Amino acid sequence: MTGSLHRIWPIATNTVREAVRHRLLYTLLFFAVTMIGFAVLIASLSYVEGERIIQDIGLASIRLFSVGIAIFVGIGLIHGEVDRRTIYTILAKPVTRAEFLLGKFFGLLLTVWLQLLLMGLAFVLVSLSVGAPLDWGYAAALFLVGIELMVIVAVATLFSSFSTPMLSAFFTLGIYALGHLSRNLYFLGQEAEVDSVRRAATLLYRVLPDLETFNVSIQAVHGLPIPASEVAWAVLYGLAYTTALLSLAIYIFHRRDLE
Amino acid sequence: MPVIEEGASRRRGARFRQGLLGLGVGLLGLFVADAVHLRNPPLAGESLGDVFVPDPAVAGLVSLGFGAVVSDFYWLQAIQAAGGDVRITPELGAHLGQLIDVVTTLNPWVDHPYRFAGIWLTQSEQNVRTANRLLRRGIEKHPDDWRNHYYLGFNHFFYLLENAEAAEVLEGASRLAGAPRYLPRLAARLKSESADLEVASVFLQELLRGAQGEAARESYRSALDEIEIEQRARQLDGARVRFRELEGRDIETVDELTRGATPLLGALPSPEPSSLPASLRRGSEWIVDPSDNRIVSTYYGKRYQLHVPASDRERAEGWAREKELREAAGR
Repeated sequence: MTGSLHRIWPIATNTVREAVRHRLLYTLLFFAVTMIGFAVLIASLSYVEGERIIQDIGLASIRLFSVGIAIFVGIGLIHGEVDRRTIYTILAKPVTRAEFLLGKFFGLLLTVWLQLLLMGLAFVLVSLSVGAPLDWGYAAALFLVGIELMVIVAVATLFSSFSTPMLSAFFTLGIYALGHLSRNLYFLGQEAEVDSVRRAATLLYRVLPDLETFNVSIQAVHGLPIPASEVAWAVLYGLAYTTALLSLAIYIFHRRDLE
Repeated sequence: MPVIEEGASRRRGARFRQGLLGLGVGLLGLFVADAVHLRNPPLAGESLGDVFVPDPAVAGLVSLGFGAVVSDFYWLQAIQAAGGDVRITPELGAHLGQLIDVVTTLNPWVDHPYRFAGIWLTQSEQNVRTANRLLRRGIEKHPDDWRNHYYLGFNHFFYLLENAEAAEVLEGASRLAGAPRYLPRLAARLKSESADLEVASVFLQELLRGAQGEAARESYRSALDEIEIEQRARQLDGARVRFRELEGRDIETVDELTRGATPLLGALPSPEPSSLPASLRRGSEWIVDPSDNRIVSTYYGKRYQLHVPASDRERAEGWAREKELREAAGR
């Protein structure tokens, strides 16, 4: 176990180094921070509740651009190694494919968490500058964005383990959209008169990630209570779902012909 | 060696020229796009038709977890649609109702948009009913905020002539923290008798106190001014009745109330609102209107019918008649 960690860690740190050299990362980060600052201008169009609008836009920008970074930086990581043939050098060493994949996953996760931290900092600075309220609810909201990103990075890792970057991006975006729709699909399905439709809706709801579990932005901005148990269950759900996705990714990557 | 340097220099020069060319093409593209764009500037009246307002349920579905920010977008659209010198028509009222419906469905925890609906959705019975539905949603989410109750009560009283409903809503509001002390009295009055000028005045003063936005404040101030003049006109009506009793004839001019052996009034009250700045005073006077033989101020040229302007009163009564007809047809 410790040996595995010793092999995963260098791959992860190398992935972080590789990711931070990615121009796209800085472009998206720049847009995210600009958007958070730009929120002040947009909010000035409203004569009331400007602080709330600033924070709504701020949190939405963080979520949108974080997912953008996770998807568009993440999808090419494995493909790039195969394309450049550096994967053969790595796998020729005593490193299993599972360790390689997990290294890539943790590297990307560290990268997106790092940029989440930077965006969170920009959000706090903008909130403080306009005198908007800040409490633990915002910390919980940002923390759960981090957990949502973990699931999205796992989805991106899964698809990049067997697909091209373009298709991986397409699939991951699809899962992201469906993940935010799965609750509504479930409720819509339950209203159907046909039993098979109801069952299909339930199945989809249980198989697809329920990403709305990690979305407590509205509660944070409106100062509504966010129970610790709700956060704990969301974390447990995120960890379990990520484990399932990574297991599937490792299984597929093991069977993949890299020649 | 110089040959190599010359080659490198040539390549650098070529790259520079390519860069310049790219920049030039980019700027040209921007210039053409801007010129084309400016050929068709948006018209002021286009904004209403151009903004697509989705069904709230569909908007919730496709917002993909970004409901709060989509809600903000439609809130800003609502402000833009209602702001400026735009006259609120029933159609625009309906449009604003749709916008606020989306805003409050996507983020029901918003605060002011509910009262925004209460202020602006007043041009038709349907508008007011939509506003009331939205205000009830606001009450559901913010049960402890007396203001949404207040606006709902006002709509029932002022626009729909539904005093019983207004009293019920205001009674509930009066028990909430921060509610004005006069609310229970107001509710009781609405319950016991038909609402009068004083009730309308108290309502409007409170709305003015809490109004956000100069347009809304101006609208309330103007209604209060009309009520003030009507109160003075009623005072003159009383004096006129006594004049008839004493003199056995009617007045020919309003001045007669201050003349004669026993003047009924020391002086005539001002025919212009007391809030009117001196620079805007136009020397109005009290006259007996030859068309209906009533005392009127030339400032308005007509009497304030009960607590609402005649047009509003007629409108509200028209809505009430239509409602009765609909209910009769339904039975």
